[in-house]
Amino acid sequence: MELNMMHDVFDRVAKKQKLLSSRTQELIDQVGWEIEQAKLKMQPSESPTGCTDPKSILVDLKTKLNEIAPINQLEGLQKELNFGLGKYVKTLEKCFNSDISKAHRKVDFDVHIVNQIIATHFYRHGMFNIGDCFIREANEPEAAAIKSAFLEMHETVEAMRCRNLEPALSWASKQSEWLLQNGSSLELKLHQLQFVEILQNGSRNEALTYARTRLAPFAPVHMVTFQKLMACLLWAGKIHQSPYADFMLPSHWERVAEEFMQRFCSLLGQSYQSPLGVTIGAGIQGLPVLLKIESVMAAKKQEWLTMTELPVPVDLGREFHFHSIFICPVLKEQGSDENPPMMIPCGHVLSKQSLVKLSKNSTRAFKCPYCPSEATVAQSRQLYF
Amino acid sequence: MRSYFLVINCRQEGIRSLQSFKKPNRRESTTHSRRWIPVSTAIRPSPASSLPISPSIHHLLPSPLSPLGGDMDMAIDSAPNGDASSSPAVPPATAAAAAAPPAPTTRLAQLAESLKLEYQFVRVPLEHLKKTMRTNYRLAEKEVAAVLSSVAEAVDRSDAMSRDDALTHLSSLVSRLQSLKRKLEEGSRVENLQAQRCRARLEHLDSVADADKFAEWKDVRLTRILVDYMLRMSYYDTAKKLAETSKIQELVDIDVFLEAKKVIDSLRNKEVAPALAWCAENKSRLKKSKSKLEFQLRLQEFIELVRADEKLRAVSYARKYLAPWAAAYTKELQHAMATLAFRHNTECSTYKDAFEPSQWDCLVEQFKQEFCGLFGMTNEPLLNIYLQAGLTALKTPLCYQEACRKEDPLSQEGFRKLAEPLPFSKLHHSKLVCYITKESMDHENPPLVLPNGYVYSTKALEEMAGKNEGKITCPRTGEVCSFTDLIKAYIS
Repeated sequence: MELNMMHDVFDRVAKKQKLLSSRTQELIDQVGWEIEQAKLKMQPSESPTGCTDPKSILVDLKTKLNEIAPINQLEGLQKELNFGLGKYVKTLEKCFNSDISKAHRKVDFDVHIVNQIIATHFYRHGMFNIGDCFIREANEPEAAAIKSAFLEMHETVEAMRCRNLEPALSWASKQSEWLLQNGSSLELKLHQLQFVEILQNGSRNEALTYARTRLAPFAPVHMVTFQKLMACLLWAGKIHQSPYADFMLPSHWERVAEEFMQRFCSLLGQSYQSPLGVTIGAGIQGLPVLLKIESVMAAKKQEWLTMTELPVPVDLGREFHFHSIFICPVLKEQGSDENPPMMIPCGHVLSKQSLVKLSKNSTRAFKCPYCPSEATVAQSRQLYF
Repeated sequence: MRSYFLVINCRQEGIRSLQSFKKPNRRESTTHSRRWIPVSTAIRPSPASSLPISPSIHHLLPSPLSPLGGDMDMAIDSAPNGDASSSPAVPPATAAAAAAPPAPTTRLAQLAESLKLEYQFVRVPLEHLKKTMRTNYRLAEKEVAAVLSSVAEAVDRSDAMSRDDALTHLSSLVSRLQSLKRKLEEGSRVENLQAQRCRARLEHLDSVADADKFAEWKDVRLTRILVDYMLRMSYYDTAKKLAETSKIQELVDIDVFLEAKKVIDSLRNKEVAPALAWCAENKSRLKKSKSKLEFQLRLQEFIELVRADEKLRAVSYARKYLAPWAAAYTKELQHAMATLAFRHNTECSTYKDAFEPSQWDCLVEQFKQEFCGLFGMTNEPLLNIYLQAGLTALKTPLCYQEACRKEDPLSQEGFRKLAEPLPFSKLHHSKLVCYITKESMDHENPPLVLPNGYVYSTKALEEMAGKNEGKITCPRTGEVCSFTDLIKAYIS
């Protein structure tokens, strides 16, 4: 991106603009001064010599003003400024894509759906004031339904930031079964943080009772962690001097807060990342390619608007891969239930249809398209991604 | 590698003969799309090809200077899984593709491409600055010219003027110049602010290269897009609040849209005067773009006069204001003049529409379009453009199934509905995601196959084996096997 060049061009324009305004002021001053002089000359008391005839003074004034020719000067400077501006605009048009809506199809996006998506996005990120204001202005009262859930989530996280784990613990114990089903040890982590917090405040007895009541149920499964925590009892109030000092790290709190948010959203059926953010991110990566496709198709007069599948892939970054998609290297078709991916003994994977065709309807052995080894259809295995 | 080349060439024959039997893709009904598919098999420039390859597509690719030239050629794309020597994706022989630079899969190249989309971001403050400069210049020119001509006129009249008259005349000129000076000082201050804003935008684009703050930069971009949406939809309060909270007032154009708001509000109140004033301000540029707006505004005023039954006034109005446009828009003018014969609540279908209040909404839309065009803005909100592009890029048939992961935006009902009329995205190479870790299975993390056919990533299975003494339990079927039973799969 030739941003430096643009900076230079713009600086030149800005200089010309400043020049024009300062020169304009100067010219006005000059004209004003001439008129003042003429006025002075005309004062009856003021003229020792020369005539005080208004006409001749005025004629003088007129000639002097014509000499200065302010209008011509202004015009000249303005022309230069316009020239500089035109050059800058041309630079912009060269460096940027001046119409990104070319690839946009004229399908109507239902405004209500879009507004709901935006409102959810605001609530997810804790911008409750803005979300409320938006719903009011956009007149979408139904979108406020999801607000309470996210409000709960943010309040809990806020409490955690103030080292208050009560709301989080109560949520975790309510959802304890679901968390275990999904392989999450969130409850244990919360109890662990609470235990360390109590211990750090120095009260060993309280910590002991806490361990007995809340940590003990986790002992069978997470014995190692449990043992470490018990050992911390020896350093009540001075854990940072113990070998287990890393239990004190604030990053633990942040990570647990993050996991809490992830599990919370997952329980709600929402994703942790705002879907609006993800889609816009994908759009920013994909739009240059779409614009390119559109321009090529327009050149060949093909229909951009009616196609049901893009002719060219849009490569998105890894963060946008959500599904396993298998493309048979031979047929370039997507794997499906009717045409699943099959692996042959050499390790290469083809779709079932291409296997069948290569082996002439499962009758003969065939050579793998990639490596020289032979295989038969019987030796192939269906893969499940 | 070379010794394999001959072998691979023979293999190509196998693949290409398969291609000729390829059934048309069920999703594609038009033949043109088939021509795109076998790009990566255009390895040998074989003359008699039964394949519908269109090498002409490559000729339409832009010059090698454009980094996107590489995107069209799939063979240059990310390296396939597994053994490189057995991969048929040998660098293609087509000249255009060979001349194209490597595909922009590098982060910097992608960033550069995404910056190119920010035309509106830098153009709008420039247009605003231009407008201010134009206004200031016209004011200065007019006033100074008036002063000069006033002096000349005084010279002509000087015989009839007394000394006192001349003095007062000159004083009035001086005070006129002084007020001009004050106005221009204020104008110049505004110009400087606007120029500073232009610079701030360029600097903001520069700052994308700063890797530490990149996540912030992306957040700011999303907020900018949202503010643009709010302004276009006239949710001004939300836009202001959003800009304030994120501290991006310099990076959004609220004031530009507020100027438009005045005109839009007046149009909604059925007043055309501010809109006409706006047209007069931007006369030359509207003329260049052959805009119909002024004509339509005049037309609407005419219709309002007819509606109020003031036919004579309507006719004289038409003579004065509509006649100049007669040559350009004859049919519309004729249609409008015919309304004189009807009452405003006429049932005659041809002329009923002319009296509809929805005509005012059309005017508002027309104004918005002209306004956006003048400032170099797109007609659609940026949000819609990016949303559509994103949905298209993410849309696969798998997204509509029940088992779609929640992380995919298209698992949400709203997104699915929006994406319905959009085309599916296409892939030329497999993109696999491990069921366990949700990470990509590729070169660095190859897929491993269990004896029952299920596939997971190396990283996940190594971790599992490490925790369970070399035993692997398939998460989906529960079958147990040993790490040594796994086979590596090669997928391109």
